[in-house]
Amino acid sequence: MSNDFQIDDADRAIVEQLRLNGRATNQQIANTLGLTAATVSARIRRMEDANKLRVVAVSDFSAHGYNVLMEVAIEVDGRPATDVVDELVQFPEVFAAHLVTGRYDIDILVALHDFDELPDLFLNKFGKIPGIRSMVPAIAVDVIKYKFDVAPIDAREEA
Amino acid sequence: MSAPQLDDLDRQLIEALARDARVSNRKIALDLGVTEGTVRGRIKRLQQDGLISFTAITSFGLADSARMAFIGVEVNVSDVRAVAERIAELPAVNAVMITMGRFNILAICLFNSLDNLLEVASNQILAMPGVHHVETSIAVKTVKYNARVVRITAADRARIEALDDDA
Repeated sequence: MSNDFQIDDADRAIVEQLRLNGRATNQQIANTLGLTAATVSARIRRMEDANKLRVVAVSDFSAHGYNVLMEVAIEVDGRPATDVVDELVQFPEVFAAHLVTGRYDIDILVALHDFDELPDLFLNKFGKIPGIRSMVPAIAVDVIKYKFDVAPIDAREEA
Repeated sequence: MSAPQLDDLDRQLIEALARDARVSNRKIALDLGVTEGTVRGRIKRLQQDGLISFTAITSFGLADSARMAFIGVEVNVSDVRAVAERIAELPAVNAVMITMGRFNILAICLFNSLDNLLEVASNQILAMPGVHHVETSIAVKTVKYNARVVRITAADRARIEALDDDA
């Protein structure tokens, strides 16, 4: 990742305003920060064009009917972990996938409409991927905080 | 948790706004063939129901904290909510879930140095009353990440309502 892209305090202030309300107009942001609307607009566009910023609506898992959320740690055996993860990310139930250090090799976030979908996912989908030795879940019982306003914009994104 | 009833228009709105939240109501209305008033009303309802929220997502490269870590926390089950709420107060921690599984709390944290991670995991979280053990695993590479679908918590909804009051 290149670090050539520089941002200054005005850019940071604009991002801060957008985090508070992504739908604020350029004029509203300009008034708050003592800038012109044209400056605000140009700076947002510059960061967006460089893939450094996205101003978006995020939607709740429940808006998509996902009621079950779990994190699953995966132990890989006899196969490169990067190959295994490339197969895992093909499934829409896998919302996030990371290669990690520690006892397990891959960490994924899985969302399901309900538990009835688990046998098919485990046996027919994950079960067809060679190299998975074990999958250890942690089922989310309650989510206290979930605030990812820093994210890998370059990573594969899917709705 | 009951699934909210969303119709096709709601879904199209969510999709359009997930691509770019700064598009005007007028443009969305034109694209979807409805009135601006309908768009405004639907967006307000989706926000009030805690189904969507508008934010700015910045890339890791732009942020000071460029690495993600998963911190599994073992804590007495009777203390789990109180500890989870305390962990959620740490600014470096982006997500906190109470879980059933190999630990009771999963905290996801962004950090910019190993010292920074040590401070959060081994000093702040581990020292909380009721916490027995923390297990940290660092994301070396993120292969997939959907930042558009999230859990909008009660705290988020309170923040959105406060914004409305200001308006």
